[in-house]
Amino acid sequence: MNIPFIGEVPSDIVVAWIISILLGGFLFSWVTKAGKWQVIMKYAQTTHHRKIGVMYLLLAVVFFIRGGIDALFIRTQLAVPENDFWVFQSQKYNEVFTTHGTIMIFFVAMPLLIGLMNVALPLQIGANDLAFPYLNAVSFWLFAAGGVIFNMAFFFNAAPNAGWTMYTPLATDTFTTEPNNNYYILGVQVSGLGTIFTAINMIVTIIRLRAPGMKLSRMPLFSWSALITSVLILVAFPVLTIALLLLMFDRLYGTNFFMGEVGDPVYWQHLFWIFGHPEVYIIVLPAFGIFSDIISNFSTKRVYGYTSMVAALALIGLLGFMVWAHHMFTVGLGSMANTFFAITTMLIAVPTGIKVFNWLFTMRKGIVKIRTPMLFALGFIPTFVIGGVTGVMLAVAAADYQYHDSYFVVAHFHYTIIGGTILGSFAGIYYWFPKMTGKMLNEKLGKWHFWLFLIGFHLTFMPQHFAGLNGMPRRVYTYMWEDHIFLLNFVSTIGAFLMGASMLFFIWNIYYTCRFTGGAAADPWNGRTLEWTVGSPAPEHPFEPMPRIDSLDAYWYAKINKKQLPEAEDVRPSPIAVETFQPVLLAGVIGIMSIGFIYGWLWMQIVGAGASLAFFVIRSLTDERKRVYEREEEL
Amino acid sequence: MKKLLFLPVLLLLAGCNIRALHPASDTAATLTDLIYLSFGLMMLVFVVVMVLFIYYLRKFREKAYNVHHIPLDTRENKWFEITWTVLPIILLTILAVPTVQATYELTSSSAGNVDEAPQQAVEIQVTGKQFNWRFTYENGKQSMNELVLPVGQKASLRLQSEDVIHSFWVPRLAGKIDVFPGKVTRLSFVPNEKGTYQGKCAEFCGAEHTQMRFDTRVISEGEFQEWLKQE
Ligand code: HEM
Ligand SMILES: [Cu+2]
Ligand SMILES: [Cu+2]
Repeated sequence: MNIPFIGEVPSDIVVAWIISILLGGFLFSWVTKAGKWQVIMKYAQTTHHRKIGVMYLLLAVVFFIRGGIDALFIRTQLAVPENDFWVFQSQKYNEVFTTHGTIMIFFVAMPLLIGLMNVALPLQIGANDLAFPYLNAVSFWLFAAGGVIFNMAFFFNAAPNAGWTMYTPLATDTFTTEPNNNYYILGVQVSGLGTIFTAINMIVTIIRLRAPGMKLSRMPLFSWSALITSVLILVAFPVLTIALLLLMFDRLYGTNFFMGEVGDPVYWQHLFWIFGHPEVYIIVLPAFGIFSDIISNFSTKRVYGYTSMVAALALIGLLGFMVWAHHMFTVGLGSMANTFFAITTMLIAVPTGIKVFNWLFTMRKGIVKIRTPMLFALGFIPTFVIGGVTGVMLAVAAADYQYHDSYFVVAHFHYTIIGGTILGSFAGIYYWFPKMTGKMLNEKLGKWHFWLFLIGFHLTFMPQHFAGLNGMPRRVYTYMWEDHIFLLNFVSTIGAFLMGASMLFFIWNIYYTCRFTGGAAADPWNGRTLEWTVGSPAPEHPFEPMPRIDSLDAYWYAKINKKQLPEAEDVRPSPIAVETFQPVLLAGVIGIMSIGFIYGWLWMQIVGAGASLAFFVIRSLTDERKRVYEREEEL
Repeated sequence: MKKLLFLPVLLLLAGCNIRALHPASDTAATLTDLIYLSFGLMMLVFVVVMVLFIYYLRKFREKAYNVHHIPLDTRENKWFEITWTVLPIILLTILAVPTVQATYELTSSSAGNVDEAPQQAVEIQVTGKQFNWRFTYENGKQSMNELVLPVGQKASLRLQSEDVIHSFWVPRLAGKIDVFPGKVTRLSFVPNEKGTYQGKCAEFCGAEHTQMRFDTRVISEGEFQEWLKQE
């Protein structure tokens, strides 16, 4: 390896430290000069769903930039055959694709969607906040702590390097001895805990806090998708928790779950994919929900086939648990297992197809208004269909012996994840931006963002199908002239930089909008659902008085009949907001404990665990509702 | 729409000899047929969706005269919904039948009973190891990163790893089969064309996974016997 070193440390890390310190200093002085410390302190103590949602989104965008820079390093190294770009060969390249994949899944896709759920879900169903505001803050700060732990790894020259799938035995301490992969285990574990809490919170909110009259059968589709995704999280994430725990024991305490005489590396693959496949539906179903709402909104029409849309969501969720071994066709599980999983996988295409046709028929006979959120929804349909059809091709078990672990798969899952989750999150951000900030993102910059991103996207990933079929395995840091995949890779690299450029428009748009514009109306898109009845940005107690709902899209029908939504009387008490630093501090000490585990420092583990326990005790002894109840009794 | 334009262009650029679509063995030929079949069926789906998409988008896009109109709600049509549920099921059935067939045929020969070695096959031990391949022939001869096979004869490989998981892949001859420590997997195929084919490790296996490549040389029976005797 010819890693350029500066002193003892590889040069990429030195550069990263310098840039981070400069940026940190700049941010610090800017915040001080603008007198924003108060705002930051307020956000650090908040339990309000909109503010927490905005923090999720902000952090997700930061991580998206990190993961995106990783992607550009990958694409630069692969631009031409036998390339030697900077340090990104061998183990360094492995670190870069591992952090890219992990960050994109756990620290970008998840928080983008959870952030949007936080912002929009209570508003859509007429709840004044999530059911457990304190728990919500804990969720967010655990996610943040996990993200910080994971991203720290790189700065200490210890980025994880076994792929985001952490296949054993490579990921056990026999083959990767350094602390690198401990960072993955602890970072993902801590943020995963937060995700599980969020799921509980969402489910309880939807069950308990819908506005009077909003039966489940009148709930907007985004809320439905949030409900089903939360159920999937509640079932799938504990499997990941357990898998990571077992791997941690293998790495730290010498157990042998995943190798040796009694253990088996294939156990890991089963556990990982029993979590992992539902995970891909966890990150795509909310995007489906966003698109359903947006397509209906901007086609000026009720969504087509509401009932079958809900049924399809549920069916996809259910089937999602029965297909995990399609990631393991080449393991040699036997013809019986392979055909079973091939067929269940193909079956998922049916409800997905139903959804696509329902979207198309929502546009039919409507009046389609092309604003930026709708543009992303329109870009989604062909893109996701390409990802879907290659998915069916991959389900053909025998043919998958060719596609598996090749660039064909890389192309496939980027078509589904970027086409679904990322386009969906962008659409959602443009759509609900007024609810978050009280401002409207600029349409012109939004269009630039969209077109550059979409064109860049197809340029990047369409050629990868062919590179894969031509024998290019994934996770390789170079290839040769005689592989005949140079042009395909070169085009792909150009596309990646176009996508990078499009993100500049997006970030400029956010900055420009927040700085120079103001005053969005409560209902700027002529919306249909409840979030558009409340002010922009959404106030702390949006539904006072509480509306009564008598149909799907009740607000819309009230509008066109020139009526007000009726007021409800029998309202459930709202969740109670508190201001507290406890969630941040709790996440902080759990972070400290995790570092203790990563480096095997027993004293640090004990300090962190003791402090975390103390927080549990404090929390068990406080009840912020008491105050409110007492006040109510006095009245 | 834009995307559709450069699809054929890329196909041309890539040259028409994409390895997985240019089989040089019976097994690979089965896979190629399956790839084409599934691609064809799926293109049908894609085209239908695109036609509806473009047509509806042009027809129902907001026009100057209807900006302030409010379209009527349409009721769901049972027959439409049945159509787009049943048609995909039919398409998938068409795809599922050969899938099951091929999967049974190929998988039982690769992951099936390890002990019953097929007669008249060239038996080869394949050992994967960070980061190279070792091939051991029946007469004890060994070669590194070069697999030599006689044309027209069944090659029967038993694969095992000495460390982590690898995956054996020669796109023009067969699909992948994973290579595990402590467990034997099998792969067999009949190469039917002489030539040298690229082989690669397809399961990420550590620092130099990229370099874990090998060549497969398919030569005539006579040359093969000759080669076996050398050294
Ligand atoms: C922004 C543009 C993006 C580009 C140019 C890009 C590029 C790539 C490339 C080239 C690889 C293959 C690395 C290899 O096999 O050696 C890869 C892997 C991956 N990407 Fe992306 N990607 C992008 C965005 C995303 C997004 C948004 C997600 C998910 C939300 C994502 C998730 C993944 C995952 C999970 C992997 C697998 C990592 C692994 O093999 O462990 N990517 N990406
Ligand atoms: Cu899957
Ligand atoms: Cu390998």
